[in-house]
Amino acid sequence: MSFFGLPDRNLEEERERIRNGGLHENEDVAVYTWGEESYDGLGDALQEGGDDFNDETFGGTGAVGKDFDFSGQTRLLETQQSRATQQSKRPALDSTPSLESIWDDRSPFSVLPRENGASRQPHQHSQYSPFLESPILHQSSPSLSGARTVQEIEAEMRAAVQTRNASQRQQEQQQHALRLQEEQFLQEQALLERFAIEREEREREQLHIQALQRLQQQQAMQLRGQRTPPPRMLPVSQSPRFIDQRQLLLLQQQEEQQLQLRVQQHEAQLQEQLRMEDLERQLRAHQISQLNQGPTHFTHRRQQSGPTIAELRGRSRSPAAYRDFNVVPQSALQQRLLAELAQADYIRELQGVSQAEQEVLRAEAMRKIVETEKMEDKRRRKAAKIAHMSRYNDLMTQSDKDFITRIQVSQLVTPDPYADDFYAQVYGAILRSRMGLQSQDDRVLKFGSGGGISLGAPQKAPTRRPNAMQRMEQQVERIVNNARRREEEKGLHSLHSLQGALGKTSGRSYKAAPRQLLQVDDNGASSPTHPHPHISKEDAKDRDAAQEVARLSRETLGNHGGNVVRKDPLTHRQVLTILETLYDLVLKVEQMRRDQPLEEEGEIYERWKTECDAVVEQLWEGLQVMVPLETSNPHPFVSLLQPSKGKKLLPRLTRHIDHPRMLTLMTLLVACFTQMDVVKEAPLLDSLDESSERAETDRQTQAFLTSVLQSILPVVTKLELHIVTALLGLLIDRSENIGLLAQTKPGLALLTLFLSRVEVIKQAWATGAEPVDPISAAGYLEQWQAVFDQFFVLLTPHLLRLFPSSRIALQPHHPATVALAIDIIDQPVWQFLAALALQAVPEQHQVLVTSLREKVLENVVSANKGWVAGEEERRTKLANVNLFLHALGLDSSQITL
Amino acid sequence: METSSIQEPFDLIRLSLSERVFVKLRGDRELTGILHAYDGHMNLIMSDVEETIMIVDEATTAVNVRDDDHEISRLIIEQVAKRKVEMLFVRGDGVILVSHRNSVLCALPLKSKQVSPPSRT
Repeated sequence: MSFFGLPDRNLEEERERIRNGGLHENEDVAVYTWGEESYDGLGDALQEGGDDFNDETFGGTGAVGKDFDFSGQTRLLETQQSRATQQSKRPALDSTPSLESIWDDRSPFSVLPRENGASRQPHQHSQYSPFLESPILHQSSPSLSGARTVQEIEAEMRAAVQTRNASQRQQEQQQHALRLQEEQFLQEQALLERFAIEREEREREQLHIQALQRLQQQQAMQLRGQRTPPPRMLPVSQSPRFIDQRQLLLLQQQEEQQLQLRVQQHEAQLQEQLRMEDLERQLRAHQISQLNQGPTHFTHRRQQSGPTIAELRGRSRSPAAYRDFNVVPQSALQQRLLAELAQADYIRELQGVSQAEQEVLRAEAMRKIVETEKMEDKRRRKAAKIAHMSRYNDLMTQSDKDFITRIQVSQLVTPDPYADDFYAQVYGAILRSRMGLQSQDDRVLKFGSGGGISLGAPQKAPTRRPNAMQRMEQQVERIVNNARRREEEKGLHSLHSLQGALGKTSGRSYKAAPRQLLQVDDNGASSPTHPHPHISKEDAKDRDAAQEVARLSRETLGNHGGNVVRKDPLTHRQVLTILETLYDLVLKVEQMRRDQPLEEEGEIYERWKTECDAVVEQLWEGLQVMVPLETSNPHPFVSLLQPSKGKKLLPRLTRHIDHPRMLTLMTLLVACFTQMDVVKEAPLLDSLDESSERAETDRQTQAFLTSVLQSILPVVTKLELHIVTALLGLLIDRSENIGLLAQTKPGLALLTLFLSRVEVIKQAWATGAEPVDPISAAGYLEQWQAVFDQFFVLLTPHLLRLFPSSRIALQPHHPATVALAIDIIDQPVWQFLAALALQAVPEQHQVLVTSLREKVLENVVSANKGWVAGEEERRTKLANVNLFLHALGLDSSQITL
Repeated sequence: METSSIQEPFDLIRLSLSERVFVKLRGDRELTGILHAYDGHMNLIMSDVEETIMIVDEATTAVNVRDDDHEISRLIIEQVAKRKVEMLFVRGDGVILVSHRNSVLCALPLKSKQVSPPSRT
């Protein structure tokens, strides 16, 4: 399209041609004469240098519209120019048609210089240009020549967009308002209708429920609207710039909320709600996109984060997400129920129902209301709680949680899970056996050899979250494997496995930790290896027990040559140290026994056995039983039994010691019996004074009876007669006064043990349950009788004093009223006397009866004459006496007074 | 486990397990009882405990110094409160010392000498 009807040509080509001086070749322009001077004049006519005509050129004075009539403006200029050129008789510029074509081209690229001279395709350009699609650039295209300042352009653009947005918004708001009004109207209509219907037909509960649901949702919405966002979501709000932003957002949200509420009030069906939500979201998205296009450039960049949060929250508030989140408002329910009630009353009145019936119904209704209220209250509280807690939802990522679990679990993993959780394990075992479950494996999570975790006592019910437990187990397994690997790398100390579990310390602060300065040498006094000058292990093993007893008796008779090294008795401290070592060993043995491999496993079993034997050997040596008798007084072994924990250790320890050794142990115990603290301190028990010493002795005595005697009981029940004889002989020899020894609880208990064992042997022989060589049996019996006679003679003067009640009564400053439990204290003595009577020959019976006559009579009389506190005491007294009398072949009922 | 020796201070306390111990606590309190368990914080579990609380009132002691000796000693005795507890958990942060009872029994008469008033006879 050329203004002058000239052919449309490329500017560059033309220019090139001019430059090359090929003017005359151009036949079309040959009409005009070209000259140097005339060329310059044209430039002046165009006034290229100044901006004076810019306004004219670009139409800056008028309002910027969409109708860009560039040619209309330029045409004027064009005609002026052409007129000017024609007036001056100068040929029109060759470039004129090209200039025209530039304006014709709408692409902004058309003004850029085309250096390469490539064929231009303006319309293709405009098609692909991204700028053309942008309304901003489209609008501002008149300023593309860069003639105006940027500020001017911006202001223009802003004005344009604002006006447009404002109009759009206004339109939208109007639309909304209209719609809302319509909705409200419809709603009201619906409600009115519903009321009418309800009055007519109360069966239409359906509608009620719908209304309720609506109200529920409404309330849920309100609840959620009040909910504060998790703290992490509000960090930007501190800066004052964002308060405006937030307020804006809040306003927006409120608008949306109200809108949503209205919408939901109207739309009962969920499907429709969802549809509306989609609509809402689209609407919001539209608004946001509008905002993004808006003129406020700084804010709009920030807003991109704002609306997304709002959107998220909006979404989370949507009823679709909380569909099953039912909160029925109390008031609504009440109102409903009351309305029903009133209506029911009304109808009944009409029907003429009796007053009483009404009352009943009313009460019923009230009860229902209260119940529903309660339930609602509960449900609401629950919902509120969930809502409250959900504030903290997703504060931690899964990896955070895993990390913390890892730390926690890494503290739990131990090389010996069973021992570390010993009490829980034992408790669990007891519990399982009590519940009748077959004892499964220990509640221990083991990972290969070594590490593991203790699971403690079994759960009664399946855990609330078995999943979590499983997950933890998996995790633990992984961690344990890692820890084990680390430990292997790093070495022995378990401390290392935890190093870095909580992160690394920066710098070298941990290196500055205090260094160990004291190097305590531990090879000192506590070492339990004492020399055994004249008893080698081999000797001890195959030595006959009787020989052992004989040896000990020999030693006691002063046959200790110069080869016994006298030592000071162990100090208390030494005893405690040794005991701790022994406890460690016992625990070790017990652990080893638990880990006992099957015997089929051959080599492993052999290795285990040797290891186990080695530890038991250590235990045996630690007990110091083989230390010569005269080494010290008390003997080291007796010293070890002094603290109550030493006594309590014995039954646990003797389980691992074989019978011959136990025999040795018992022999030593008998030989050193008078050295025992419980024997030495026994007179304290005869006092009724409350003192710490007495309490301590009582505690020790109890420990001795329950622990030490219990541990030797299995040995005693297997003793041969001749060994019992030897032991009794030894006991008599070793104690200065067997009568005094029998006055102690431990002594009395031991003697009873021996006597009853002999009785059992005798009965076994008599019934033939135990086949025995009659000749040797006769010899053994003879031996026994001899020792027993000696014992009886020694004991006779003390018979009455054996009773604690007699001994206590001998102390005059005590009121007799204290001795209430005396019968119980006396019981072991009666038992002993019964055992004694069984072994005694008839002459000895005589002695027994004459000595104890007074005591027996006292008991029987007080029992028969009712000098007792109660029936129980009476029975105890008689039972005690009968114990003894039955052994003599008598009974308390035969005694007549 | 084989290490039978004492390597750290807690090993000494370990020796006193299930023994009667004397424990001195902050706030002028003392305990004697059987030690059952302890931990790294010196939390203790004790049974059969007798707690002794010294109520030291400076004002009364100051007044009583002017009185005769008999009066003072009587008052000081009165200012010791005792009670017995069957089982006790002692929080470790109050523990000043843990000792075997025997060694304390030796120390006790010494202390009573300090308590007794200066001779003015």
